[in-house]
Amino acid sequence: MPLQTDNVASSHPDGIPAAHLMPFATTLLAALLSLQPVHLPGYVNLTPAFALMTVYYWTIFRPDLLPPLALFGIGVVYDLLSGGLPGVTPFLFLLSRVAVLRCRRWFINRTFSFLWGGFTLLTSAAMAGLWMLHSVLAFQFIGFTGSVFRTALTISLFPILSYLLGRIQFAPIGTG
Amino acid sequence: MIILAKIDQVMFEAVRISAADDAAPILDMLSRPPAAIEYIFDRGQGMIHVYQDNLRLVEENKRLLRWQQTALALASENTQLRDLLKLTPEAAVSNVTARVIASSGGAFLRSLLVDAGNNVGVVRDQAAVTGEGLVGRVYEIGARTARILLITDLNSRVPVIVERSRQRAILAGDNSRLPSLSYLDPATAVRSGDRIVTSGEGGVFPPGLPVGIVDTVDRGPPRVEPYAELSQVEYVRIVDYGLTDALPTPVATASPFSRHAGPGTADTANRR
Repeated sequence: MPLQTDNVASSHPDGIPAAHLMPFATTLLAALLSLQPVHLPGYVNLTPAFALMTVYYWTIFRPDLLPPLALFGIGVVYDLLSGGLPGVTPFLFLLSRVAVLRCRRWFINRTFSFLWGGFTLLTSAAMAGLWMLHSVLAFQFIGFTGSVFRTALTISLFPILSYLLGRIQFAPIGTG
Repeated sequence: MIILAKIDQVMFEAVRISAADDAAPILDMLSRPPAAIEYIFDRGQGMIHVYQDNLRLVEENKRLLRWQQTALALASENTQLRDLLKLTPEAAVSNVTARVIASSGGAFLRSLLVDAGNNVGVVRDQAAVTGEGLVGRVYEIGARTARILLITDLNSRVPVIVERSRQRAILAGDNSRLPSLSYLDPATAVRSGDRIVTSGEGGVFPPGLPVGIVDTVDRGPPRVEPYAELSQVEYVRIVDYGLTDALPTPVATASPFSRHAGPGTADTANRR
């Protein structure tokens, strides 16, 4: 089934103003969700990149509601709270936004599998980039098994989050 | 920003822990629902297995009572021998129990954020332990929160000793589940199942703190399975052994090459 985007605008012209914060709020919540301690064996290694999912989704469907400044802010907050090197996550988010915006027209009115395929490419590239960046910053080779499994889990969970974000998008926000 | 953070680690550390302090109530609130679900799930499992658990606990209780008698006899003997040798009594130990409110969330960091900070007397470099063994040490401290560097983190270096052979080594994290033993004497063999405890060198941890057991010795450096299940830690005890301030305060322009510390300087300067 083709994804509805611009053609739904008439049924949900602009949405309500408060709902325009949803892309920002869901991305921030997704970032905080990644920090939640889940007491499952090995989970910490596999923590899905929830925020990358929301960044990808909203950049395709409502890039106007998730501007670069918001992404930068969320990225900085994530880095500060996770104890990571400040700047890495904003860099990842902004780079992802640029990459997705360049290809955005290919995803409009396409099937979900096309959207999922795009996310698979983005996540694989992002995780490989993160791994390389951390290895360079640490001056040593960091094992990449964890990153591979994390990538796989992130890609696997995308349909669920995408469905939830779709519900949010088509309920109060509209498609812009 | 990345380069600046790498150059001026101290400033970003202050910003980071200040942000964690401010966000602590939100992180705490967000971590409650999953914790409640886990609690309900655990209770449910407990109800299902109550009969088997009771039988197991009765057996365990009998065994522990025998151990208690042995421990009492050894404690009495230990006291007498200490008196004979006129050993200096060990410093009193105090501890704070803290709840884990956030993890590092990713494949490149191994740390925990806990809801205890300066307000309850937690200071930098105190040991974080669970009932099973060593978890890590406090490396960032705020007013209401503290960040614990886990022993599996890439930057963690803990001076340890192989209990059986009294061989000294450094337990080095590499972000994997099993940290490795480095700087081992190649002449002495390490066996799978050997107990690893802290050596007390470096002055951060007291000697004899249980760390883990040797898991594999086949390929590369021996790997150690930590006693504490680090992915399932809900609460940690932050223990003051009276050994704090043993490490130098990091300088504002810490060299990135300072991570390659030898055994004598282990557990120093490896901070983000």
